[in-house]
Amino acid sequence: MSRAIHSLSSHLSRISVIALHAFTQLVRMKVFYFLVVFAIIMIASNFFDLPQHEGPESMGLNVLRSIKSWSLGTMTLFSVVLAIVATALLLPKDVEDRTLYTILAKPVPRLDYLAGKLLGVLMLVFVSLALMNLLMTAVLHIRTGMVMEDQMQMAKTLGWPPDAIAAMKAETLQQGPSWSLQGAVFAVFLRASIMASLALLISTFSSSTLFTTIVSFLIYFIGHFQADARDAYLQAGAAGEGVFARLISLLLSLVLPDFQLFNVIDAVIEGQALPLMMLGKLTLIGLFYAVFFTFASWFIFSEKEF
Amino acid sequence: MKPSLKIGVLTLAVLGFGAARMPFEANLSSELRAAGLTPMPLEIGTRDKIDQTSSAVVLGGLRTLVATFFNLRAFSFFQEQRWDDVAETYRTIVDLAPRTRYYWETGAWHSAYNAASFYLNDSKLAPLRRREAWRSSIIRGRAFLERGIRNNPDDWNLLAYLGFMLSDANKFPAFGDSDATFSAAADAYGKAVKTGKALDFVQRAQLYSLARVKGRELEALALARKLYAIRKNQTPTLKTLLFVLEAYENPKLEMEKRALEIFGTPEASYDALCSHWQRTRERYPVHGVAEALQALEKTLKIDPKNSIFNQPLQSPTMTDDWFSK
Repeated sequence: MSRAIHSLSSHLSRISVIALHAFTQLVRMKVFYFLVVFAIIMIASNFFDLPQHEGPESMGLNVLRSIKSWSLGTMTLFSVVLAIVATALLLPKDVEDRTLYTILAKPVPRLDYLAGKLLGVLMLVFVSLALMNLLMTAVLHIRTGMVMEDQMQMAKTLGWPPDAIAAMKAETLQQGPSWSLQGAVFAVFLRASIMASLALLISTFSSSTLFTTIVSFLIYFIGHFQADARDAYLQAGAAGEGVFARLISLLLSLVLPDFQLFNVIDAVIEGQALPLMMLGKLTLIGLFYAVFFTFASWFIFSEKEF
Repeated sequence: MKPSLKIGVLTLAVLGFGAARMPFEANLSSELRAAGLTPMPLEIGTRDKIDQTSSAVVLGGLRTLVATFFNLRAFSFFQEQRWDDVAETYRTIVDLAPRTRYYWETGAWHSAYNAASFYLNDSKLAPLRRREAWRSSIIRGRAFLERGIRNNPDDWNLLAYLGFMLSDANKFPAFGDSDATFSAAADAYGKAVKTGKALDFVQRAQLYSLARVKGRELEALALARKLYAIRKNQTPTLKTLLFVLEAYENPKLEMEKRALEIFGTPEASYDALCSHWQRTRERYPVHGVAEALQALEKTLKIDPKNSIFNQPLQSPTMTDDWFSK
C-alpha cells in the first residue's frame, strides 16, 4: 500500500516538475503579450458607446451583453489558439533543443513526460483565462453599476412603480457579473483543454508543428458539426438516408469531439443561468477526452525512437 | 509492436471511446437544447447570408459575437434608411442569437415603427404605394415579433410588446379587422400575465384591449371588476372602462350616480369622462359616456359654449387623412 502511494507521489512530483518547466518555457515565449490586446478590447468596450439602439427601458443593457460577448469571444479564440499552438510547439521544441533526449535518458516514464507537458499548457491557458476573466468581471462590474445608476435616475424621473424598478434591476443584474458567467469561462477552459490534449495526440505522430496546428484547427471547426452528424446518424431511419450516409455520419460522430456542447457560453451571454449540474456534466466530458487523448498519445509515444 | 498494428489498436480505441461517449453526449445535447442552453443548428440560409469570416467565427462557437457585429451593421443600415437590409440583418441576427429579446424587439421596432413612419412621410412615393409600404412594414414587424414569441414562449416582455403594437392607435389600422386585432392584443397580454412574471400594468393593458373587442364586453367587465378590486389598479383609464362596460351590461344604469361612485367627485368624473370621450382614435367603447357627461354638465353648470360636445374630435380613421395628402 505504502509502496503504491510512494510510486504515485513520485509520478505526481515528476509530472509537476515537467509541467512547471513547460509553463515557464511557454511564458518565456512571451505569449502573455496577447493580454494587452484583450485589455485594449475590454477598456474600449467600456468607454466607447457603440452605435446601437437603446430604448429607455433597456438603457445600457445591450452594452453589458456586448461586453460579455466580446470578452468570451476573445477568450475562446485566444484559449483555443494558445492551447493548440503551445502544445504543437512543445514536442518539436524539446527535440530541437535536445531537452527531450536528456529527459528520456533519465528514469522518467513517457506518460509522465506527456502528462507534465499537457499540464504545463493547461496551466498557461488557465492563468491566461483567469487574468482575462478578472479584467472582464471588473469592467462588467463597473459598467453594470453605471447602467444601474442611469436606470434608477430614469425610473425616478418617470415615477416608475417599485415592482417595475425591481424587475428592471433584476434584469440588469442578470446581464452583469454572475456565477453562470464564471461557469461559461470554465466551459471555455474545458474546450481549450480538449483541444490541447488532442493537439498532443496529433503531435506524437506528426512530422511538423504546422501539420499539428492545421489538423487541430480543422478538427476544432469540424467538431462543431459533430452533433449534426450524430443527429443525422441517430435519426437516419426517419430521414430515410442511405447506408453510406449513415456510415459516414456514424464515423464522424465516433471520431470527433462534440464541441457544440460547450456553446452554452452563448446562452450565458444572452443572460441565461448555467446550472451547476450541466457544468458538472461538461467537466466530466472534458476530463473524459483529456484522459483518453493523453493515454492515446502515450500509446503512440511510448515506443517512438528519436 | 508494429506501427500498423499500433494504428489499428488506436483506431479501435478511438471508435470504442466514441461509442462509449455517444449516448452520454447525445443525452447531454438533448438536455442542453431542452433547457435552451444550446441553440438549434443554424439554417443553411443563414450560413449563406453571413460572409466567410463570420462563418468561420460561427463555426468556432461564437454565434453571439457575430450577432453583436451584425447588430452594429444593422444600425448603419438604419441610418441609411435601407429598410429591407435592416430586416434581413435582423433575421440573420436572431438565427444566431434566438434567445436575446433585445434583437427581436429591435428588429420588430425597426419594421413596424421606423420603416412604417418613413414610408408614411416619403413624399417621393404615390399615396397608394406609401400606404402599402407602411402597411407591409407594420405587418412584417408583427410577424417578426410573433416569430420571437414562438422561439421564447416564456418571455412576457415579447408578449406584452406584441400586445402594445397591436393596440397602438398608429398601428392597428394596418391590420384591417380591428376586433380581431384587439382580440389578438388581449390574448398576447393574457399570455404574458400567465407566465407569472409580468408586471401589474400588463393585466390592465389586457383589459384595455379586451374592452375594445365587440362581443367580449362581458369578459372585459369581469376582468375590470377583478382589477378594480385592487387599489393600485385604479387608474383613470381602468375606472372609465369599468364605468363604460357596466353601462354596456346595464343600459338603464343611473350613469351620473355610478360615475360619482367610481370617480368620487363630479369634477373628477367630468374630467375622466371628457378625456375618454376625446380618445376617438383608440376606438374605446363609449357606452353611457354621453349620457353621464350631459348630466354632469348640468350638475357642474358648464357653459354650453364650453361643453365637451362642442369641442372638435380627432377623426377615428386617421390613416385615410395621412395618405390623402
